Amino acid sequence: MISTSPAAGASAPLLSLSAVTKRFGSFTALSEVSLDLRPGEVHCILGENGAGKSTLCNVMFGVHKPDGGAMSYRGAAYQPSGPADALAQGIAMVHQHFSLVGDMSVVDNVLLGRGRGVLNRKECARQLAKLATDYGLPLDPNAKIDDLSVGERQRVEIVKCLIRDPQLFVLDEPTAVLLPDEIAALLQVCRRVAASGRAVVLVTHKLAEIKEVADRVTVLRGGRTVATSDAPARDIDALVRAMIHGDVAELDGTAASTLGLGKVEHVGHQPPPRGKVEALQIDGLTVKDRQGVTRLDNFTLTVDRGEIVGVAGVEGNGQSELAAVLAGMMTPTSGRYYLGEADLTGRSPKEITAAGVGIVSEDRHAVGCVLGMSLAENIYLNRLDEFTRFGFLNRTALQRDATTLMRRFDVRARGPGASFSSLSGGNQQKAVLAREITLPNLSCLVASQPTRGLDVGAVAAVYGHIREACGRGIAVLLVSSELDELLSVADRIVVLYRGRIMGTCPADPARKAEIGAMMAGQAQ
Amino acid sequence: MTWELFAVFLGSSIRLAAPLLLAGIGEMVSERAGVLNMSIEGMMLMSAFASAVGAWATGDPLVGLLIGIVSVVPVSLLQAFLSNTLRANQIVSGIGINILVLGATTLAYREIFGARSRAEIPGLAKIKPPLLGDIPIIGPAVFEQVWLLYAGIGIIIITALVLRFTSLGLAIHAAGAEPKAVDKSGLSVTAVRYGVVVFAGFMASLAGAFLSIGDIHTFTEGMTRGAGYLAIASVIFGKWRIGGTTLACLLFGAATALQFQLPALGVNVPNALLIMLPYLLALLAVGGLVGRQMAPATLGEPYRR
Amino acid sequence: MTTLDQQNSLDRGPRFTLRPSLFVPIAAVAFAAAVGLALIAAIGVSVPDAIEAFVDGTIGSPYALAASLNRACVFALVGFGFVLANRANLTNVGGEGQIAVGGIAATAVALYGHVADLPLGLAFILPMLAAVIAGALWGALAAVLKVKSGTNEVISTLLLSFIGVWLLYWCVQSPALLRKPMTSSATLPESLEIPDATQLPLLTGDYGFPVHIGLPLTLLIALVVGVLLAKTIFGVRLRAVGLNPVAAHRAGISYAKTVIVALAGAGALGGLAGALMLLGEQHTLKDGFSSGYGFDGLVAGLLSRGSIPGVIAASLLFGFMRSGGINMEMVAAVPTALVVVIQGLIVITLAGAALFIEKWERRT
Repeated sequence: MISTSPAAGASAPLLSLSAVTKRFGSFTALSEVSLDLRPGEVHCILGENGAGKSTLCNVMFGVHKPDGGAMSYRGAAYQPSGPADALAQGIAMVHQHFSLVGDMSVVDNVLLGRGRGVLNRKECARQLAKLATDYGLPLDPNAKIDDLSVGERQRVEIVKCLIRDPQLFVLDEPTAVLLPDEIAALLQVCRRVAASGRAVVLVTHKLAEIKEVADRVTVLRGGRTVATSDAPARDIDALVRAMIHGDVAELDGTAASTLGLGKVEHVGHQPPPRGKVEALQIDGLTVKDRQGVTRLDNFTLTVDRGEIVGVAGVEGNGQSELAAVLAGMMTPTSGRYYLGEADLTGRSPKEITAAGVGIVSEDRHAVGCVLGMSLAENIYLNRLDEFTRFGFLNRTALQRDATTLMRRFDVRARGPGASFSSLSGGNQQKAVLAREITLPNLSCLVASQPTRGLDVGAVAAVYGHIREACGRGIAVLLVSSELDELLSVADRIVVLYRGRIMGTCPADPARKAEIGAMMAGQAQ
Repeated sequence: MTWELFAVFLGSSIRLAAPLLLAGIGEMVSERAGVLNMSIEGMMLMSAFASAVGAWATGDPLVGLLIGIVSVVPVSLLQAFLSNTLRANQIVSGIGINILVLGATTLAYREIFGARSRAEIPGLAKIKPPLLGDIPIIGPAVFEQVWLLYAGIGIIIITALVLRFTSLGLAIHAAGAEPKAVDKSGLSVTAVRYGVVVFAGFMASLAGAFLSIGDIHTFTEGMTRGAGYLAIASVIFGKWRIGGTTLACLLFGAATALQFQLPALGVNVPNALLIMLPYLLALLAVGGLVGRQMAPATLGEPYRR
Repeated sequence: MTTLDQQNSLDRGPRFTLRPSLFVPIAAVAFAAAVGLALIAAIGVSVPDAIEAFVDGTIGSPYALAASLNRACVFALVGFGFVLANRANLTNVGGEGQIAVGGIAATAVALYGHVADLPLGLAFILPMLAAVIAGALWGALAAVLKVKSGTNEVISTLLLSFIGVWLLYWCVQSPALLRKPMTSSATLPESLEIPDATQLPLLTGDYGFPVHIGLPLTLLIALVVGVLLAKTIFGVRLRAVGLNPVAAHRAGISYAKTVIVALAGAGALGGLAGALMLLGEQHTLKDGFSSGYGFDGLVAGLLSRGSIPGVIAASLLFGFMRSGGINMEMVAAVPTALVVVIQGLIVITLAGAALFIEKWERRT
């Protein structure tokens, strides 16, 4: 493959990895990965979930020590003793999850860990102002982090790195949480940083970003380097094949959509003839938080039996509040919601379950399951009473029935007694889904971000079960920030922006741009 | 109530609040960084004992104070090691340390003093600060206090400045609120948290010395009688702020002072009720008046990368 | 699913291998005992003499044995309560106060009117019930504070302990409450001795071996608590709330109810422990009644790492240690504080080893 990047061609590599291997116990996360990073280039690392991208970044940043191979930085051997050492040597990293102190100001967050003794907040604010003009990163130095939007918080993280004047700048999946125009701005920042003679590593699984910004690409799969390219825009199809080990065209529509290819076909099913009864009726739900800020604003929606309605939107626009209210985990400030004739507003989770509403929570580990308990206990957590006589739990029957469900939902585990924490994320999610979807009188399912963190196979399985439930006449409300998934699964999509419904339209891939605009707050 | 009596009441409130205040501010700094030291009680007792023995053996209360401070260092290092390095349950390990110190000091006290009548232990001197101390009536009654209290107030003011204006203050706050941010900034969460536990131990050692050689010039077995737990309650009551903690300590001190003042005024309240009062107030304070969200986000949770 | 799989999938079957959760506590006790012996030597007492005094005080006579067993019952009850609450991830350190209010309630009822004349053992059952209720309320108080305003139960149970202990002091100081009639200024601040009929019957009727019916009662309660935790839906609920209260709530398990029942249960057992102490042995309520037994029971609960047989073993150990310690002080001039040192060391060692045990058990 020929080099097309003028900046990257001639110069010696800034950081070289040769045959780097990293193991966690018996699991090999990275296997003999080699990589050259040159000053002035934006180098994208492409790969699916679990391909080893984050591990690779963490090795470069000194979080993990490699078990094999060598690294050299500016021509000398590079063996960082930890993140602090990496930072001191000029390697900075913006992590996938922010680590900002919420009740401190922007300046204080930037100052944390820099220098000793008395703080010079004025000087720091001056530096921030300079960075803002140099790279296009405007920030109010005195704002509290808690008051900032996600995009602004990320800017703080970036500024925290840039103020140290790093030679190598690593960004681990920075665009996952951003709006389209915020993504564009971020990619612009990457370009400017590279143009100033630094090397930028951008981890992503979105091909559009690679097309736009990458000088070179390295593709990881299963911890190995499977392809590199000096001309990513030209080689894009080959890169995709390398990433997923198969031709894009052969993929199931659902799986392809998660890659952000935009080649989504509507694979929606034939809805069964609908009953007269509207299953889920939401009428003007409004949620205000403690500070009096409106998080969910007059949300009104009807979901019919046998219908899947998708709720699209960038995270943090009221989806969590909507799901929490429907699950009985939050009391709305005003508004009501009904299942058939029954008013479920403000009812307890127990009553909501009893009424026939299945809930798949967005935060599986916090709300959906009890990690320290067994698979059998988790898969029947809300129905343990059925296995109880005179207060005594019939564990034999519990294990037997759990085994049946495991088979039906293809939950792979050592057995029903396996600790829930020993299951993979996909199997945990299938178990949670099994629990909620097999409620005896299920008539409505509310699933929030049900595919988060799952691999392609598990995503397909989850949507298979949801479609199957829908085919039985269950009303499904599907909340997801993955627009492509919604487009391929839902019948209808409503878009949430700042707690309000920006618009509703059929789940037609042709209208993706329109929906995207609504997600960004532009009413149609 | 006459002015004289009120001044005496004020003075003894401050005197009784002093050990709570010293220990409480140390604990507050530690909790701000995320470490809960249930062992404050044990640290105070250790220092109360060691400084009393030191002052008794050398005849010099200052040497006693130093011995008290030094004696707590291993205790705080043990607590820091348990809660940071071994990531032990901070409540359980703290209570374990309290039990150990109670046993050890009682044992050592019996060994050293045996059946001997309580020996005369030289205590720390009282000072009257200029100007304030010269105010008639109030001066001697309120402001004539053991110098250690004034030294402690100085340390507390410095602590407030450090927390507010230095990078160390930022690191301490961030270690409790978002330890990951500290870690990723290149600082060591463990180092910060070891540091604050040792500081809490230092402040508790001043508090313990104040109890024995500062206030009553003797040592009795288990003499802290829950003062360490009151100090922890004052931190909660004070919402993890220096001003709030100080006020809470003064309130508990005043409640304790009532024990001695009310009978003097001829008010007939059961003694036990008055002894109970600070604990009762503390319970009301932690139970009803403070919200949960005020606490440092990772209080009591060992940090793990 | 094959037979092999099913065997693997047994929930928590007892496997009698040398598990760290078993040998670490034993090692901790051995380590602490070794330090204790070294301390005895350090203070210049002959170690064999001290050991002889210790053994005499524990099993040297039927009387000593009985005293040790009676003590062990008190520790075990508090320990069961600790384990019960701890299953819901609650740390009840209020045993001392729960014992105190139990003692107060038992005394008050035993001395009340004609309770002593009641037939069918009601004379001692009623005071016991009163103690159970008082302890349960004391524990529930901390639970309500936790549920209503998120108060950490460690702080609240500790403060409630101090309050309970001073409450008892108040009761025995005030003639209007439980202090015996003041005939002279020399009248001790303590209650009247409770009538014979309200005292717990001895198992053998032999005053030389005064084990009372608290022993079988404690064993019965051990069984009940053990079954409750392992076999009932309540046990699963406790565990769910302890591990993830939010997920438990979503699954329809009431956090408030579970926390209140768990802490009230722990308090009830503490109150009962107080009743055994008063009705079984002390017979008069006086200052210092709880004598640190609440903390011993807490340590027994910690030591057991959640197992009921573990609580029993630890309680026996502490029962013997207390009795032996008292005899060591009387015969060999070794202060009983030594026993406290040993207990402190045990708690610290175990707290420090918890991570190691967890890691080890995850590996196997």
